[in-house]
Amino acid sequence: MKKFLAILLVLVMVFSLAACGQDKGGDAKEDSTYKVGMVCIGDDNAAYDRNFYMACDAAKKQLADKGINIEWIYTYNHPEGDEVAVDNEDLAGKGCIAVFNNSYGQEPAMLTVAPNYPDTVFIGMTNEGSGKDELENTVNAFPSIYEGRYLAGVAAGLKLQEMIDKKEIKKDEAVIGYVGAYTFAEVISGYTSFFLGARSVCPSVTMKVEFIGSWGDPTMEANTAQDLIDRGAVLISQHSDSTTPATTAQSAGVFHVGYNIDMSDVAPEASLVSSRIDWTNYMVYVIETIVNGGKVDQDYFRHGLATGDVTLTDLNSKIAAEGTAEKLEEVKKQMADGSLNVFDTSKFTVDGKEVKNAFALDTDGDFTPDSEEAIFDGCFHESYFQSAPYFGLRIDGIELLNEKY
Amino acid sequence: MNEKAPFLRLAKRENINKRNVWLIRAAAFFTALVLGGLIFVIAGADPINAYGSLLEGSLGNPAGLRQVIKVATPLLGTALALAPCFKMKYWNIGAEGQITMGAVGASYLALSFGDTWNSFLLLPAMAIMGVIFGGLWSGIPAAFKARYGTNETLFTLMMNYIAIGIVGWLQGGPWEGKPGSQIIPMFKPAAVLPRIMGVHIGWILVLILTAIMFIYMNYTKHGYEIAVLGESENTARYAGMNVTKVTIRTALLSGGISGLVGFMVASGANMTLYASVAGGVGFTAITVAWLSQLNPLGMIFISLLLAVLSKGASTLQTSLAVPASISDIITGIILLCMLGCEFFINYKIILRESKNKEGQK
Repeated sequence: MKKFLAILLVLVMVFSLAACGQDKGGDAKEDSTYKVGMVCIGDDNAAYDRNFYMACDAAKKQLADKGINIEWIYTYNHPEGDEVAVDNEDLAGKGCIAVFNNSYGQEPAMLTVAPNYPDTVFIGMTNEGSGKDELENTVNAFPSIYEGRYLAGVAAGLKLQEMIDKKEIKKDEAVIGYVGAYTFAEVISGYTSFFLGARSVCPSVTMKVEFIGSWGDPTMEANTAQDLIDRGAVLISQHSDSTTPATTAQSAGVFHVGYNIDMSDVAPEASLVSSRIDWTNYMVYVIETIVNGGKVDQDYFRHGLATGDVTLTDLNSKIAAEGTAEKLEEVKKQMADGSLNVFDTSKFTVDGKEVKNAFALDTDGDFTPDSEEAIFDGCFHESYFQSAPYFGLRIDGIELLNEKY
Repeated sequence: MNEKAPFLRLAKRENINKRNVWLIRAAAFFTALVLGGLIFVIAGADPINAYGSLLEGSLGNPAGLRQVIKVATPLLGTALALAPCFKMKYWNIGAEGQITMGAVGASYLALSFGDTWNSFLLLPAMAIMGVIFGGLWSGIPAAFKARYGTNETLFTLMMNYIAIGIVGWLQGGPWEGKPGSQIIPMFKPAAVLPRIMGVHIGWILVLILTAIMFIYMNYTKHGYEIAVLGESENTARYAGMNVTKVTIRTALLSGGISGLVGFMVASGANMTLYASVAGGVGFTAITVAWLSQLNPLGMIFISLLLAVLSKGASTLQTSLAVPASISDIITGIILLCMLGCEFFINYKIILRESKNKEGQK
C-alpha cells in the first residue's frame, strides 16, 4: 500500500512539474496574442463546422493585418447541455476574450456560464436568446442566409428549366427534394427562400421536404436524399451539416445544391453551387471591437449578400445551366438595390391566398410570434427585427413529407 | 496423466497478502500509463507533457476541480445504485434508462410548477418524483424476473432505449419549446439545485448516500439478505428469506437512486432535459462499481479517477489539440488494465516446469 502511494505521489509530482514547466512556456507569448474560443457542434467531418474553420482562419489573417494577433482554441462535438457549459467555462477560464458557440442548441448552456465571466464575450451564433437577455456579455448573430438560399435557388431553377427546355424532363417532373434538419423557423425560412428562387426562373417547379430530426447525421442525410430521389426529385438541396446529400445525388445521377461549403469536390457531376454564411466579417468585428475596448452589438442583423456575410461558392460552370453566372449577378444586384424581395407576398400563397399578416417575434415566451408585423411594403421582412429567422409560413407548392418525425 | 501438461496453466491464488494485491494494482496502473503514453506518441504529443496537462487541467485549477466533482457526482451516485443489485447477482444494465426516467419525472414538475412553487417545495418534490420514476422503471423488469423468470440483463438493457425514446418524443412533442427546435426550455430558477463551492449540491447528497449505502450493505439485515441471495438463491430460500421480495425491493432501491441521480443531473448540471441526459453514465457506472469491487468507499476514488480522466481529456483537446477520442482510448486502456489486474490477483499463471515441480510434491 505504502509503495503504491509512493509511486503515485512520485508520478503526480513528475506530472505537475511537467505541467508547470509547460505553463511558463505559454506565458511568454501571451502578452501579444489574444485567445479566442470556438465551441463546435461537430468536427472536420461536418461541412457545417468546416465552414466555421474557414472563417476562423480568414478572420485570424485579417486581424493580423490590422496588428491584432489571435489564437483560436476549439472544442468539438458538443451539441448541447453540460458538455457545452464545460467547454465555455474552460475557454473563458483560459482567458479567451470571446467564446463563439456555433450551434442553436448550445446557447442555453452557454448562458449558464456567461454570468461568471463578465470579461469574456459569449456569442450564441444562429440563436436568439443572448441578444434579448439582460447580460451585457452575451450576444447573437445570424447573417441573412435566406438571401443566399434564394440566389442558390435561382441556379437550381435555371438548371431545371434547362432540363425542361431540352426535353430531358417534363414540366411537372421538375421536383426538388430538400433534406431538412428540423421543422424550425430557420429551416422553413431556408427551404422557402430556396424554393422561391427556383420558381422565379422555373415556374412549374415543386418541392418535397423531408426532415431528419438532427442538424447533421451523414447516414440519415444520405438515406433521406435517396428517398427523395426515389419519390421523383431530380435536384437535391439540403439544410443539414454533411456532404452526403451531394454524393447521394451524384451516384443517383441527379443534381444538387449545397450549403456551408463548396461540395463540387465530392460531387463534381452533381453539385451546382452552395450558399454559405461567411462568418469572417462578424468574427473580425467582434474581436476588433473587444480589443479596442468597445461594446459588441447585442444582435448582428441585416447583414447578408450585400455586406459579404452571405455568399455563394464558386459556380460549377461545367454542369450549371447556360447563362447562370450572368443571371445570378443580375438577381444579386436587384436584391442589393431593393427592387427584388425574397419573400415578396405577391409571389407566394398559403392555402391559395396571399398572406397579409404575420408576426415576427414572440414576447410572452410561449414560442408563438405575437408582435412586430413582419409583412409591410409588399413583402415579409425576414431577419429585420432580429437576426434569427422567423419566417414560419407553410407556402403552397412545397410538400412536407414528415412534419412529425 | 501421460498427457503433456499445457505450457501455461492457471491456478487460483490462495491467501494473497494485501501488499501483493496493491503491488499488482500499481503495476497495472503503471502499465496502463506506459501504454497510454505510447498512444500519445502515436498521436504526436509528448507523453509527459500530455499527462501533465491532463492533471493540470483537471486538478490544477479551481474550475477544473469543480468540473471533476460535477462529472464524478452522477458516476458515484449511479455506482452506488448498482452496487446492491450486483451484490445480489442481479444484472441491472438499466441504470441509463432509470436515470433518464428519473430526470423525466423531475422535469415534469420543474416545467409544470417552476413558476408557481418555491424551491423549498419544488426541489424535494422533484427529487421524490425522480426516485419514483427511476424506481418504477427498474421495478418493471424486476417484477417480470420474479414472476416469470425473465432475463433481467436483456430486459433492463431494452428499457434504456424506451426511456431515451420517450425523452426524444417529449423533446419534439408536448414539452418542446420553440416549434421545431426539439429543445425543452431551461428550468426556472426555482427548479435548479443550489450550488455549494461552485458545484450543485448533488455532490454532497451522493457523499451522504455513500455513507448510507456502506452501512446498508454491510451492517443491516437487508444488506445481509442481498449478500446471501447473491451467493446462492437456494441458501437464501432455506434460510427463510423471501427471494421475490428481496429481489424486487433491491431493484426498486437501485432504480430509485438512479432516478435521484437523474434529478440531480437535469436540475443541477443541465437545467433542462434532453435525450442524452444520462450520457452513458449508466454504463460507465457499471465499471465504477466493479473496479471498486462494490465497495461504496472505493467508488468515491474510482469515480474521481474517471472524472479526472474525462476532464483532463477535454483539456488535452484544447491545449495540445489531442483529439478527445485519443483520450477515450487511454481511458479505456486504464480501465482495462485496472479490471484486468483483478484476474492476476485471483489467479496465478504457472509455467509447465513449475507445474511439474508442484506435481512431484
